[in-house]
Amino acid sequence: MRHRSRWAVNTIAAVFCLVWIFPVYWMVNTAFKPRPEVMTATPHFVPYHPTLSNFVNAVTQENFLVNLRNSVVVVALTVLASIVLGIFAAAALSRFRFPGRRTIMVVILAVQMLPGTALLIPMFVMFNSLDLLGTYAALVLAYVATVLPFSIWVMRGFFVAIPAEIEEAAQLDGATTWGVLTRVLFPLVAPGVISTGIFAFIAAWNDYLFAYTFMQDQSRYTLPVWLASFTNPHTGTDFGGQMAASVLFSIPVVVFFLIIQRNLVAGMSAGAVKG
Amino acid sequence: MTVVPVSTELLDDAAGADPAAPPRPPQRSRRRRRRDLAPLWLLSPAGLVLAVVTLAPIGFLLFTAFTDYNQRTLFTGRYSYVGFDQFSELLSDGAFWMSLLRTVLFTAAMVTGSVLIGMGVSHLLTRLGLWWRYTVTVVLIVAWAMPNVASSLVWNWLFQPGYGVVNWGLDRVGVFGDTTDLNWAQDPARAYVAIWLLIVWQAVPFIALTLNAAETQVPAEYKEAARLDGATELAVYRIVTLNHLRPILLLVTILSVIWDYNVFNQIWLISRGGPGDSTSTLGVFTYKTAFVGFHIGQGAAISVVTTLLLFGLTAFYIRRLLRSGEDL
Repeated sequence: MRHRSRWAVNTIAAVFCLVWIFPVYWMVNTAFKPRPEVMTATPHFVPYHPTLSNFVNAVTQENFLVNLRNSVVVVALTVLASIVLGIFAAAALSRFRFPGRRTIMVVILAVQMLPGTALLIPMFVMFNSLDLLGTYAALVLAYVATVLPFSIWVMRGFFVAIPAEIEEAAQLDGATTWGVLTRVLFPLVAPGVISTGIFAFIAAWNDYLFAYTFMQDQSRYTLPVWLASFTNPHTGTDFGGQMAASVLFSIPVVVFFLIIQRNLVAGMSAGAVKG
Repeated sequence: MTVVPVSTELLDDAAGADPAAPPRPPQRSRRRRRRDLAPLWLLSPAGLVLAVVTLAPIGFLLFTAFTDYNQRTLFTGRYSYVGFDQFSELLSDGAFWMSLLRTVLFTAAMVTGSVLIGMGVSHLLTRLGLWWRYTVTVVLIVAWAMPNVASSLVWNWLFQPGYGVVNWGLDRVGVFGDTTDLNWAQDPARAYVAIWLLIVWQAVPFIALTLNAAETQVPAEYKEAARLDGATELAVYRIVTLNHLRPILLLVTILSVIWDYNVFNQIWLISRGGPGDSTSTLGVFTYKTAFVGFHIGQGAAISVVTTLLLFGLTAFYIRRLLRSGEDL
């Protein structure tokens, strides 16, 4: 009986894997097909004449490099800001008791549950009057708003896990508050910093809505908007190029996900990302 | 993309007290009292930034909802206070109610689909050998990791009329007749199906892996005891496993509702809310009002109402998250 049921369960697993990986497979498959093979009456399940020309076309597009630079700058600033600001706030919220602590945590959590438009609309109006639309500052501020609360919450989880005895031992040895933080606590939450950085990277790298609304010019867009701009209802979409671009765009995120995989699966990262 | 905390404590909590968990930090010592100012300077940088980038916009959103802020205002800076006009206009607008109805029904469909399949996959993972478990996990993570802009564009290509592989596949199945040129974005029902498949595809990994983390902590003795009492595998699942999963299942469901209720990118990139307004859920409806018609005051009012409608669930989720946290 065991043998039969094992076989049945494995079959279900195999079918599930095939179905669930298919969209990703189809993206990669299309990316390596020469143009005439992309549009065929009977789809080719492997490229008959594999080529890199779609990738070359994608990265030699007029705006690719400048949009890539925009993405890199904005993402780097967001990651940096959310780690530096987040680690101190997380330390305060985990290692100290003070009035208003609970209120602050509720605000931090509540902000993340807001619909995107609840920040998008007022920020658009504010940045319009401050002449910030189309600048890196506009995007970084929007991303910090969405990422920082989460960073604080995640890093707080790592601080909470450190036994108080370690801190007290350092204090008995004469360490100052600053010394305890930088010499004892911060090194211990290093894995939390890495997870937080990766989550911040993913959130900022993937954002479409804010970049699309705030940047308003092809040369100022970031990569997600660039990716969507392959879609052209009038001249027809270059699907080969778009799929190649999608592969390039997704690779860093997938790699990061696989790196923090153990954390994700064990729930140790205290965090969850939804695409 | 939405990033939302689901803390480890929830998982521990779901499976009952975990004996292997590290001891909680003991009550704070008196020493703490002397450092009263430390949290202030530690918090103030992040606090100031958050006040500027979140609290100020939220205040401004409320303010804007009571004005006639529109396209003209963007250039001239002039607007006037209109009281509750935006709200009363909204509540008498049939398009808003239709959009709300769509959102509720579609959210229910998406959440039901993703949670049920997620539960199935979570249980499947517990029955698999090492190799298959690893393979399914990697597949789930890759699907989960796909940026939603990329996956929406892949979806457009999968469902493309003429050369899309889905139409080709349906054509080969044969029961639907010649489906080669089936246009998914131009038909309300088909657009919903395509978007539903995309959302479920991307939501299942998170749900399955989160539930599985809790499911592996269900004590084996309980299941053994039920089996000894003659329970079938289905009964064991329903009585023992599901009972243990209930708290985490509730949280995952609430989180899915919050996410799916706010979905924007996938709908926008696949159907733009069309054909007509037929897939225009609240996210798309708000965006179109504020940034296509540039009725920003009206858009702000919709956004306020949208947020308030979800307030109960959000509040419940946050309370649960805080309570399952530490000694607050």
